[in-house]
Amino acid sequence: MRIRTLTRPARFPATLESSGVAGEGPPTTVPKRSPHRSRRARSRDRLSRFTLFAAPGLLVYLALVLVPVCITIGYSFTNKNPFNPPTRWVGADNLTNLASDDEFLTALGNTVLVTVIVTIATNAGGLAIALLLDRRGWLYNVLRSVFFLPVVLSAVVVSVIWQAILVDDGLLNSMLRRLGTSNPPGWLSDPDLALYTVSWVIAWQGLGFCVVIYLAGLQGIPQELQEAASIDGCGPLMRFRHVTWPMLAPAVTINTVMSLIGGFKAYDQVQVLTNGGPGPGTTSTLAFEVVQTAFNGNHIGYASAMAVAMLVMVAVVSVIALGLLQKREVSS
Amino acid sequence: MTSNSKLLGAAALAGVLVLTGCTAGSTSSGNASSGDKRTLTFLTFETPNLDAKYWDAAIARASAKVPGVTIKKLVAPSSDRTGYAKQLDSTGQFPDIMIGLNPAGFAQAGKLVEWSDTDLANYAQPRANTYGGKVYQLPFSTQTTLVYYNKSNFAEAGIDAPPRTYAELLDDSAKLKAKGFNPFVVGGGGKDSWADMFPLMCTVASEVYKETPDWLSQRAAGKVKFTDKAFVAAAQKVADLAGKGYIDRAGLSRSYSDTEQAFRDGKGAMYPMGSWFSASADTKKPSFDTGVFAWPTDQGASALPSNTGGGMTVSSKAPDVELAKKWAKAFMEDTENLNAGVKADGLIIDIKGYAAPDDMGPVYKETVAAYRQAQTANGIVHSFSQETGDGSLPPGLADKAAAGVQDLLSGRMTASQFGTYMDEQWDKATR
Repeated sequence: MRIRTLTRPARFPATLESSGVAGEGPPTTVPKRSPHRSRRARSRDRLSRFTLFAAPGLLVYLALVLVPVCITIGYSFTNKNPFNPPTRWVGADNLTNLASDDEFLTALGNTVLVTVIVTIATNAGGLAIALLLDRRGWLYNVLRSVFFLPVVLSAVVVSVIWQAILVDDGLLNSMLRRLGTSNPPGWLSDPDLALYTVSWVIAWQGLGFCVVIYLAGLQGIPQELQEAASIDGCGPLMRFRHVTWPMLAPAVTINTVMSLIGGFKAYDQVQVLTNGGPGPGTTSTLAFEVVQTAFNGNHIGYASAMAVAMLVMVAVVSVIALGLLQKREVSS
Repeated sequence: MTSNSKLLGAAALAGVLVLTGCTAGSTSSGNASSGDKRTLTFLTFETPNLDAKYWDAAIARASAKVPGVTIKKLVAPSSDRTGYAKQLDSTGQFPDIMIGLNPAGFAQAGKLVEWSDTDLANYAQPRANTYGGKVYQLPFSTQTTLVYYNKSNFAEAGIDAPPRTYAELLDDSAKLKAKGFNPFVVGGGGKDSWADMFPLMCTVASEVYKETPDWLSQRAAGKVKFTDKAFVAAAQKVADLAGKGYIDRAGLSRSYSDTEQAFRDGKGAMYPMGSWFSASADTKKPSFDTGVFAWPTDQGASALPSNTGGGMTVSSKAPDVELAKKWAKAFMEDTENLNAGVKADGLIIDIKGYAAPDDMGPVYKETVAAYRQAQTANGIVHSFSQETGDGSLPPGLADKAAAGVQDLLSGRMTASQFGTYMDEQWDKATR
C-alpha cells in the first residue's frame, strides 16, 4: 500500500472539506467554499492551474515546433525565394515536382538506406552489448558509461573524430597499411562506400541509447521466469527466444521507432563527413537536401515542400512501426 | 479566475509571438544601442591563416578609429560565410557588416548598401565586381590561383624549371610519378569540397576564359553551354590528370586544412591553390623550399585566374548604415589591418598607395610577381566558380560544380557528362 501511495499519489484535494479530512487536523483557517460554487467554476479552476503549470512547456513547443511547422507548410505552397521576390502561391506544384526530381529521389533512396542500416545495426548491436553487460560489478558499470558516452556528444564532434579516423590517410588506413594492405578502401572518398561509412558513424553514435534501453528492459525481466525456463530444460538460446525476447518487446518498440526517426533526420554527420559527396548526391540525405536547397539554392518554397514531404514520411513510417510493434507487445 | 485565464492566455500568446519572432521571419536586426554606443554585428570566417586572434586584433584597430560603435563578432561555422549569411538572413538576423561575402543574390534583392564613387576613391580596381553597374563590396584585394611546388621533388625528378606549357606540365608530372612522387595534391572532402575546384579553375581559365572572358555572362544569355567544346576540353584536362594517376584521389576525403598539411608533409609535388597559401608557406615554412608558377596554357600564353573583391559589404537594414559603412571602410583601409591581412593571408592589396611590408617572405614575393607578370601580359581572367558580379554562377551552383568535379576526379563522370550535369544544374538553379 505504501508503495502504491508513493508511486501514484492521490490527486491534490481542492479543499480540505472535499478531501474528507476536515476536523482530523489542527483547526484550519481555510475559508469555507461557497455552496453555490458551480462545477463549471471548479473545472475552470483546474484548467487555470493546469494552464499555469503547462504554459511554459506549451509555449516553447508552440513557438519552436508548431508555429515553424505551420510556417513551413505555408511556404511549401509558394515559390518563396528571398533573393527573387515576389513570393507567389504555386499550389501543389512544389510537391508534384518532387516526384520527378532526381536529386530529391536520390536523397530519399539514401535516407531509406541509412535508416534501414541504422535501425538494424543499433538494435542488433545494442541488444548484443546489453546482453553482455547485463551483469553486476564495477567493470560493467564503467562499460555501460563508456557505451553511452557517444550519445551525449554532439554529432558534429563525433563526425570530426571519425573523419580523422576514416580519411584516406587517416588512422584506420594507416593501420591497414601497416598490416600489409597496399590499397586500403577510401571510406569517405569512394562513392560506392561513403554512404555505408556515414551510416556506420550514425549507428555508432546511436548504439549507446539502444544499449541503455535494452539493459533497462533486461533488468525488468523477473528472474523467476528465467529460472522456471531453466528448470523446464531450456538452454540459453531457448530462454532468449521464449523468455527474454518476448519480454523485451517494449524496449524493441522504443529503440526501433527512435532509430527510424534518427535515421530519417540524418544531417550533421553527412554535412561534416562528406557534404553529400563524393560526387553529386552520393551521400545526400533528405535533411541535407532540404538545407542545400533552401540556403545554397535559395529555393525556400521548394525546400519547404521537401521538408513537409519528409515530415509526412517520418510520421507515417513511425506510426506504422509503432502500431506493428505495439501489436507484438500485446501478443507477447 | 476568469481574469486569470485571460491573463494567462494573453501571456501565452505574447510569449509565442515573441519566441516566434526570434525564430522565423522576423525582420528586426536585433541590434541595440547601449549608452552612446551603437552595436553592429560583423560576420567573419576563420581559416588556418585567419584565426580568431587575427580578427579580434583587426576589429579592435578599426573600432579605435570609429568612436561610438561596439562590434559583435559573428563567426561562420565553416568557410562558407555566404551560405551562413543566407541562413541568418532567413531568420531575420542578417549581419550588419560582412567580409568576404559573395554579394550575388543579396545585391539584386536590395539587401546590401551600394558603395559610392567617393567611397571607392582609394581603390585601384573600383569596378572589379559590379551588379547592374553598382558596387556592393569593397574591392580591396586580389586573390589568384597558382601552382605551388616542392622544389626538392622537382630537383630529384630532374626538373630544372617550372613548366611553361601544358605539355611540359604533363611531362613533369610523368617524371615526378616515375620518381615515386605524387604529382598533385588536391582536396578536400566533406564541407571543404570547394577546394577540389582549383585544377578546373586553372583549365577553365586557359581553355575558356582566355578566349572568352565574359563566358559566364554569355552562358546566362544562353549563347554558350557547358557542353560546348571549350568547356568540355577544360574538364577533360582535369579528368585526364586524375585518370593518369597524377591527382591523388585521397584528397576527396581530406579536409582543406589536411590537404594543405599533406602538401607540407611532402605527400605531393604540386599544390594548385589560392595565393593565400603563400603566407603560410612563408611563415610556417615546410621542410622544403616552395616555388610557384602559373598553370600553363597549351601555347604558354598567360591566363591567370584571379578574383578582385573580398572586402566589406554592409546590410541595407543595418541600424545605422552610415556608421556601419564608416567602420567597414576603417577596417579595410587601416594600414596595420592590411599588413596583418597580407602577412596572414597573402593578400594582394588593391588600395592605392599601399605597399606590402618589406619583410614579406619569398613565396609571397614570387606570388605577387607572377600576378604582376600576368597583369602586364594582359593575362588576368576570372576564377571559375569564384566570380562575383554580374558574370557569376547562379546561387548554389558553385557547390554543385564542386560535387561534379569530385566525380570527374574519381572517374565516375566523363568530361562531357560533367558539361551536361552543369547545364542541368544551371537550369535548375535559375528556374
